Amino acid sequence: MSIIVTGIGVVSALGPNAAAFRRGLLEGSNACALHGFERFDGSVVNAPAYMAVPAEPEGLIEPRKLRRMFRLARMSAVAARQALKHAELEPASLDPSRLGVVFGTSFGAMEPTQKFVDSWIEGGEASASPLQFMNSVHGILASQIALDINATGVNLTCAQRDICFEAALDTAVNLLQARRADVLLVGGADEITPMLHEFGSHTGQLVLQDVPGLDPWGARRGVVPGDGAAVFVLERDDSPRRALARVAASRVGRHDQGGPNLAVELAEAARPDLVTNNRDGGARCARLNDRQQAELGLHVPAVSHRGNFGTWPAAGAVQFAANVLMLCNGEFFMPLAGGKPVELKAEAPKAILHNAPSISGSHAAYVLAVSD
Amino acid sequence: MTQQPLELVAITGLGVIGACGRGLPTMDQALREGREGVGALGLWQSSLGDFPVGQYRGDLEADLDNVPGLTPYLRKRLSRSDALALVAAAEAVGQAGLPSLQAFGAYVGQSVCGTLTSEALYIEARRRANAGNPEKVDMRGAFVHEGANTLDRLAEAFGLRGPTLSFMTACSSAANAIGLAADAIRAGRCEVMLAGGADSLSRIAFNGFCSLKVVSPDGPRPFDRERQGMMVGEGAGMLVLESAAHAKARGARVLAWLSGYGHSCDAHHLTAPHPEGKGAIAAMREALELAGLRPSDIGYINAHGTATLDNDRTEARAISSLFGEGAVPVSSTKRFFGHTLAAAGGIEAVVSVWALRHKLLPANLGVRVPLEEAKLDLVTVNQPAQGLHHVLSNSFGFGGNNAALVFTEAV
Repeated sequence: MSIIVTGIGVVSALGPNAAAFRRGLLEGSNACALHGFERFDGSVVNAPAYMAVPAEPEGLIEPRKLRRMFRLARMSAVAARQALKHAELEPASLDPSRLGVVFGTSFGAMEPTQKFVDSWIEGGEASASPLQFMNSVHGILASQIALDINATGVNLTCAQRDICFEAALDTAVNLLQARRADVLLVGGADEITPMLHEFGSHTGQLVLQDVPGLDPWGARRGVVPGDGAAVFVLERDDSPRRALARVAASRVGRHDQGGPNLAVELAEAARPDLVTNNRDGGARCARLNDRQQAELGLHVPAVSHRGNFGTWPAAGAVQFAANVLMLCNGEFFMPLAGGKPVELKAEAPKAILHNAPSISGSHAAYVLAVSD
Repeated sequence: MTQQPLELVAITGLGVIGACGRGLPTMDQALREGREGVGALGLWQSSLGDFPVGQYRGDLEADLDNVPGLTPYLRKRLSRSDALALVAAAEAVGQAGLPSLQAFGAYVGQSVCGTLTSEALYIEARRRANAGNPEKVDMRGAFVHEGANTLDRLAEAFGLRGPTLSFMTACSSAANAIGLAADAIRAGRCEVMLAGGADSLSRIAFNGFCSLKVVSPDGPRPFDRERQGMMVGEGAGMLVLESAAHAKARGARVLAWLSGYGHSCDAHHLTAPHPEGKGAIAAMREALELAGLRPSDIGYINAHGTATLDNDRTEARAISSLFGEGAVPVSSTKRFFGHTLAAAGGIEAVVSVWALRHKLLPANLGVRVPLEEAKLDLVTVNQPAQGLHHVLSNSFGFGGNNAALVFTEAV
């Protein structure tokens, strides 16, 4: 039984929806720009980042619901509605108990969490804001989406650093195969807040000088952060809706404990013609390396599009969007590195292996293929 | 949708730590003696008054000596939540008698994670900034804030190479992690899984629940007419789950079976449960269906029973609606442990298996006058239950996230 993707929604630095995202990738748009981040002492640091454009909820989400959503929740809920619309799926037409949400986020609701803590730092513990507390839990994004579309089926959040989306995808594939749901909205989202930017600066992980963009193959000089959300409709292949792509395989495991290399195992079985990965120039992320590819007789390009849209823990969701679009439209998006296109020969892929070894030792990999 | 009953998954190891102490013998004693875990907050100074908490009061640092594979390097990188998880996991793995976990995986539920550490760093950074002190706080310790930290430390300490996932669905996290780990075994993704949850106390959680006005000044009194709210707690509950074939092949002692798991979302409100317990009913019904059981087969329900006004009323309605009024003995063990948030489903899974193995239903401590409208057969003192074959355990979380697990005796 195959799992297929039937809808896609994206809010990113490249634009407010999947069409703008695709156009940006085709045109090689560089969404990196200088943004001001306020420090704890009130000063402002201008640093490069790929900040998502404002979500456009008009016609998708009722204004009264929007009032309760902070920025990341809006991005996520809007991307979810875009995905449903793209799949031509009206939630009310489904059995709500068979409709669910599986979401990946590492930082979660940072903005309300910070506001909550600030509320009692500034006003004393008795002044803590209950509203901000309610919004501060990691599962809030999945809950807000469920609330918006009345999805009473499974509702899960995977928090697993830089493979949180891939973990959500793997979970969703298993839930659909086990028939615990019929339609799942699967997504990933994170945002870069001033607090996170300051934390990242302290740890030396972020690029603070003005650079043209993130270079996934850069020499460990730090990453250019970004944010955004992408959500997909996933179903079993007996769905009446058009398949944009097929999830041929998905695995999660470890790369730090001497276990099998999941990417190599999947590559061996699927013979992909393109490899994408979570490489962002600043961490211990690795391409399926040349030696491994040679052993498998694979001679295919390995790319990361984070030079186009930036990096954040759940950016795997946006890479998944790029992969689905390449497969369903029969095209290849030339990646950017340091603001310039990477010169490589590649054709429209038929099967993409995504390799996501996390800095934490977790490892996720999936194969996405053209639909049959 | 009616589905075929699920294949049984063996439980071969249990580990627990919390306000009742560390380890199964200590928990056994506390449950038998009705020793509650209510105590004063000792991890930081709070200006909110004397709200009691369910704090672990043992020497956690010394407890870590019992965790095999914990190198000094790893030990320096632990949050309090991680340490609680490791101690409970070591007990569960030890009881399972597995020589190595290398081929195996882990699904862990978390909510607070390393917040106790990261919030302190943030508060100090803000304090210095407000005071005009230019000296920066070293934020590197804040990495423990991230959700997968506990999972990673477990994987490193036990050398796990299989599927590892970290779930954050607030107070139903551990129950979901356990249910999904069993699904992973049934799907053939792994033969053995470590599954459960862990959370420490934190200022954010404590102040947050206080801000919602749902914390009781005298500890939780679940299903009591005069209940005033919950008690925030901390702890961990971990299970070793194993395919029946794997457990049989190695001659493992099966403590109980995990026979059902149901999950739903209220899609009603961010914190308040559905007033009729619609989502809770759906989760319990699914768990029963997938276990191939009827409501009358369940001999005991370990309720979520936080002692908040809303939870107890709606959970009682849901139980009565599905099982019939007073049809099945029910208790909440929250006064023993406090509400341990993401760990609750793990700890209560351990309690459920304990009930099955000892044929004893733990008391719902703290109740003085049972909530009349609840119409429950409330277990107010420990009650022998020789005919107990199946137990259902509920866990509900923010966002209307509901999970129910069914455990079946091993005969």
